[in-house]
Amino acid sequence: MDKLLRSAALGIAFAAVAFVSLAQQPAPPAVTTPGQPAGAPPNTPVAPPIPPTWAQGRSAEQEALNLAPHPPGMTALPENEIPLKTLKVPKGFEVTLWASGMPNARSMVFGPKGTLFVGTRFPGNVYAVVDKGGKREVKTIGKGLYRSNGVAFKNGALYVAELSRIIRYDNIEDNLENPPQPVVVFDALPKDEPHGWKFMTLGPDGWLYFQIGSPGNIVMPPSTHASIMRLDPERKVMENVVLGVRNSVGMDFHPVTKQLWFTNNGRDWVNDDLPNDTLHRVTAKGQHFGFPYCHQGDLLDPEFGKGRSCSEFAPPAAKLGPHVAALGMRFYTGSSFPAEYKNNIFIAEHGSWNRTKKTGYNVSRAVVDSSGKVVKVEPFVTGWLQDGDKFWGRPADVQVMRDGSLLVSDDVAGAIFRVAYKK
Amino acid sequence: MFFLSCGRGPGRGSLFAALFLLAPAAPAADAPAGEAKAQVCAACHGPGGNSTDPQFPSLAAQPPIYVFYQLLQFREQRRKDARMSPFAEKLTDADMKDIAAYYAAQKPAAPTLAADPAKVAAGKAIAQRFYCSSCHTSTFAGQNHIARLAGQHYDYLVKELRGFKTGARPDIDGTMASAAQPLTDEDITNVAHYLASLR
Repeated sequence: MDKLLRSAALGIAFAAVAFVSLAQQPAPPAVTTPGQPAGAPPNTPVAPPIPPTWAQGRSAEQEALNLAPHPPGMTALPENEIPLKTLKVPKGFEVTLWASGMPNARSMVFGPKGTLFVGTRFPGNVYAVVDKGGKREVKTIGKGLYRSNGVAFKNGALYVAELSRIIRYDNIEDNLENPPQPVVVFDALPKDEPHGWKFMTLGPDGWLYFQIGSPGNIVMPPSTHASIMRLDPERKVMENVVLGVRNSVGMDFHPVTKQLWFTNNGRDWVNDDLPNDTLHRVTAKGQHFGFPYCHQGDLLDPEFGKGRSCSEFAPPAAKLGPHVAALGMRFYTGSSFPAEYKNNIFIAEHGSWNRTKKTGYNVSRAVVDSSGKVVKVEPFVTGWLQDGDKFWGRPADVQVMRDGSLLVSDDVAGAIFRVAYKK
Repeated sequence: MFFLSCGRGPGRGSLFAALFLLAPAAPAADAPAGEAKAQVCAACHGPGGNSTDPQFPSLAAQPPIYVFYQLLQFREQRRKDARMSPFAEKLTDADMKDIAAYYAAQKPAAPTLAADPAKVAAGKAIAQRFYCSSCHTSTFAGQNHIARLAGQHYDYLVKELRGFKTGARPDIDGTMASAAQPLTDEDITNVAHYLASLR
């Protein structure tokens, strides 16, 4: 199984990816034949123009709905403008503002000395948050990066996943005031912008796990894409883990079974209620979860599903709701929440754009029984969405603290909230 | 579900509303204050944001999030321009929102381009073929963080489109960089001609 799709084969496949893509760092000026994409060999047929990614698969009737993705979160709300009181948690819990002033704060990882590292999708920053006895100090330790969304920690080093490469900051927690220059670990990832920003986490096997998303809303992906991959950062070997995953922006390993679980964002422009975003459990390497043929385990794609059956693919562990944008997820491994929360999954739902009535904008709780079955999914933190249509923030990731409380990042408010159990 | 962002449809509750109106303690963007803060901008961008020098973009009626986010990009050195950066680096987020609110409320002047009907037609076909209105809207008035293009200066449009293609002009989410790749220089000049002719 481990020999499946080793890096050599993937390297060739990546070189063959013909999708229009840009250099991760600003591209050198391209000399092009008129009518041909930059870098194309002579006499390459010119691909027909395509709509922007988000508009792929949209019907003429749907255009009239005037739905389009929300503007990216580029700023941080000042502390006194964050409407903390609108956030609601179950009885016995309390939510506080833990840190703020971090534009586009998204994926989070803790270093062993207690520093929280936070990646971003748009500003190219990576933040370090240090707890100074009741106050948090925010430092920007990475700047000028490209889609620096994924963060993981291993052997004293912070790993950051950019659009097409993985970099490493060695011995970072001892050098927060004077961060070292990053070392490039792996730079052969695809450069497609659509679903190109990465979620990354460290597996119990020491490999870095991340997704390569579908390069479009609903397209036949190259064999390298719509996948979760893993990279051995020492040997620089990359492998495919699973396929048929449209875009996963949240993964974690079950604390007992060590199986990989992940969230997946469903396609747009079917309708308001279909398909659901999904939660998945990986039970075997090489599993195919359906994209682009089958969505949510039981919905054949109107175009790509022709002649296929959903029974060909691994079903999801749970449906999370249509268009909720399920992003970061973590198992609850702390001990300060009540016992029934042990090994539950918390999921940050960034919130919908491709739906006439907004949904998501919550942190959800999924209860998993000892056999790995999801028995319940319910809201845990709500209130980013007000009056059904306005939102002041969007949850992007969750992280369990050493003391058992739960952090929630928000990439529109540029802040991190802390949920603690008070009894 | 989760995509390269392109703004939202016009006429609906927007993030702008959320950021500026919902948060209880949040001061609303102040267009009159923005007018005072924008006095220095008029030297290049013209009175009321209608520039008379074609190398400088007109800002009148630009969507407020567009102007705010571009100022932010200049301040953070993610968009670089030797003339713009010294002004942007002094601005706070609140200054930028005020200036953006002021320009959004200004009336765009009539296009100054001497339109060549053949180029307008060719440029219109390119705009349709490359789905420009998907994000910039059917009137090219822009929306949210997406620029208004109607009536913009031809010289500026050509320069920026070439810049998106080479990477000299960074864009926030990669949408324009991808969109500009297949355009030939003739496509660029024609589509700029068409957009500059719109009111």
